[in-house]
Amino acid sequence: MSAAVSAARASLGYGGEPVLTGLDFAAGTGTTVCVLGPNGGGKTTLFRALVGELRPLTGTVAVAGRPAYVAQTDRTRLDFPVTALDVALMGSLAGGRWWRPARGCDRQAAGRALERVGLADAAGVAFGELSGGQRQRVLIARALVQKAGVLLLDEPLGGVDPDSAQRISTLFAELRSEGRTLLVSTHDVESAHAFDLVLCLNRRQIAFAQPGEALTRSVIEETYGSELVVLSGGSDEPVRAIAVQHHEH
Amino acid sequence: MELAALPPLPDPLVLLDTELVRTALLELGLLAVAGGLLGAWIVLRGLAFFAHAVGAATFPGLVAAEATGASPRLASLALAVACAGAVERGGRAGRAPGDVATGLLLVAALATGVVLASDVFESAAGAERLLFGTLIGLGGADLATSAAAAVLAIGATIMLGRSWTAVGFDPEAAPTLGIPVARADLLLLALIAVAAVAALPAVGALLVTSLYVVPAAVARLLTRSVRSLLLSSAAIAAVQGLGGLYVSLWLDVPPGPAIAVLGATAYALCAVGSALRPRPVAAPAGAIL
Amino acid sequence: MDLVDTLLEPWRSGIGRRALLEVVLLGGICGALSFWVTSYRLAYPAESLAHGLLPGLVIAALAGLPLLLGAAGGVGLAAAAIALAARDERIAPETATAVVISGAFGLGALLALRPDAPARLEELLFGDLVGVGDADLFAAGALAVLASLALAALHRPLTAVAFDPVTAGALGLAPARVRLALLGLLAAALAVAVQGLGSLLVLAVLVAPAVAVRRRSASPLQAMLAGAAVAAGAGIAGVYASYLLGIAAGAAVALALCLAAAAGSALPGLRRGAAA
Repeated sequence: MSAAVSAARASLGYGGEPVLTGLDFAAGTGTTVCVLGPNGGGKTTLFRALVGELRPLTGTVAVAGRPAYVAQTDRTRLDFPVTALDVALMGSLAGGRWWRPARGCDRQAAGRALERVGLADAAGVAFGELSGGQRQRVLIARALVQKAGVLLLDEPLGGVDPDSAQRISTLFAELRSEGRTLLVSTHDVESAHAFDLVLCLNRRQIAFAQPGEALTRSVIEETYGSELVVLSGGSDEPVRAIAVQHHEH
Repeated sequence: MELAALPPLPDPLVLLDTELVRTALLELGLLAVAGGLLGAWIVLRGLAFFAHAVGAATFPGLVAAEATGASPRLASLALAVACAGAVERGGRAGRAPGDVATGLLLVAALATGVVLASDVFESAAGAERLLFGTLIGLGGADLATSAAAAVLAIGATIMLGRSWTAVGFDPEAAPTLGIPVARADLLLLALIAVAAVAALPAVGALLVTSLYVVPAAVARLLTRSVRSLLLSSAAIAAVQGLGGLYVSLWLDVPPGPAIAVLGATAYALCAVGSALRPRPVAAPAGAIL
Repeated sequence: MDLVDTLLEPWRSGIGRRALLEVVLLGGICGALSFWVTSYRLAYPAESLAHGLLPGLVIAALAGLPLLLGAAGGVGLAAAAIALAARDERIAPETATAVVISGAFGLGALLALRPDAPARLEELLFGDLVGVGDADLFAAGALAVLASLALAALHRPLTAVAFDPVTAGALGLAPARVRLALLGLLAAALAVAVQGLGSLLVLAVLVAPAVAVRRRSASPLQAMLAGAAVAAGAGIAGVYASYLLGIAAGAAVALALCLAAAAGSALPGLRRGAAA
């Protein structure tokens, strides 16, 4: 099975200075991968490289097809005069002819994608007026219109209401069963248990394995340093823990 | 404060009889199309300062062209496009460290223009014409340039509008949508530069924003979708140009300042009105292009 | 003798002497202030205020009031207008500023370019070092003294807040107020300097000196003193160029300042110490 997303002995950085090293992993189709790590540990840098915005300093990074990128909700402009439908429709630009106006079938695809994420009634609502969870779902709808096989989601559940979080998690399972590959970055150790694979990053790749193997106390401590509150679990057993996050002001 | 008595209001129909006014009307109409459409993108993409800078940067070129008999259009185009290229190379037309450099470059450009102007022009009136525009001497070449700018603006909006919107909305995801972001943005900057050059004779190097930013800013306060922003922006620019032309003829001042004052007044009124009215919750369904 | 003659020429006339004194005073204080203007990323606000005050200048000129009054009023109104225009979150601050400046230029030009208006717009835009009077020199001197005292008093808070606003806040230094004080100084400097250099060129004296010296300055105090020296020097050079080449004095000073900034940017930076 060829990998949908992979990295081989890659290091990434800006201006010649590496900020993320030792990347070596491969995930096939129909897989969910949790990218775990503290803020500043390199999760977003990895995504930039996978999107093609950043060339690896060494090694290679590969994605099958063009991935969809769902950024953190506060990064996309909330004051832009676009509706939920408009945003979903942006996915059809990926069809290859970005200089053409949108066609009827594109609009239909966008409408169907919004239905799929449960936002059919909100099609005409301005994007900035939706809740955080709804915005995430609209961006996922855009990824669906894009027909992307690989989805990169940057902290999709941060600050999202429980209902939306539940819907999004259900969506992940559906997308996975369709054969898509999802890379979901988070700093929430607890949620990592629900994924097929876990990739731990803190300026370097610390672990890449199934949750049972990857989420041991030693790995988690190495990933998070001292910012950790361990709830249970010993040195080599799967551990339940909460990471203390420092947010930039 | 001394208040000079205002001259009587001229009859619009009488004004239209003169070729000067008809030419100016056509010129401003074409510029309204270019300025309105591009203005929408300028406002959506945060390029207001760039639009102003690109106009002001042409000032020394205009003076030099006057001195040497070269084409002012070519001279200003060279400077404007150079400005666009420099901005594009320095990343997006963003700010922070770029503020200092751009500010100083603008000062240098304007100072150079002044130094040249004292050799070229007998009185200050020449420099003022270049800075604030004129109704006299608008000819076929100016109309042709403005028409070209209008056509380019329409064409580019149709072809690139969706991409520009997507990049403005989510620059990180735009490359994944297959948009050649750097090329699309460079085209936008270049188009703004060309269109600014077209506006120089009528509104002057310092007031390009009066037609290229203010109408779109007013429209932004009044509309909720990209398409209606584009259309209203052009309409408002046309009304502003028309009104400005009338005031310019009435008070015998250059058109640029008249248009600018009208525009700023319109913005002030809409901003106040907007602040007083509560915003509606749901938007009507409106698709972009 | 020719060289000495040339060097003495500006000193021979009252106009020349006053112009030189004005640029030295203004250059000194604005050159020092420029370090903080750039450290606090105030170049764009400074430019916006400089452009926005034009109608104030024009109205003062038309009404026969002192330009300083018009400039001060203009700065205040411009600041208020920009703040109000940016209140709607749909309009980015940059766009709102562009609208205000467009309106300000337009209003100033409209008032000044009416056929019967006596105001000399070019001097308001590009400066009038030739027309410096005793009152202007007094204002420049007062600015130099008062602003120097203010900068001395504010030195430690300014440095702390520039270096780390969050910690400074925790230390009780109120970063917002420090910034406001700096903006006040900036506004005062603009109001005084705009008569000599004009609304369009005054930015140079408040930004270029810092750029010229920052690569070689090891401390804020060094940067301020060096900036003052560079600005005064550029001012003198500009006045001399104006006399010798017959060009506008304000523009000559502005160009000298920009050249100094360009030259300073090309210098290699100071070597960082081992503790960097």
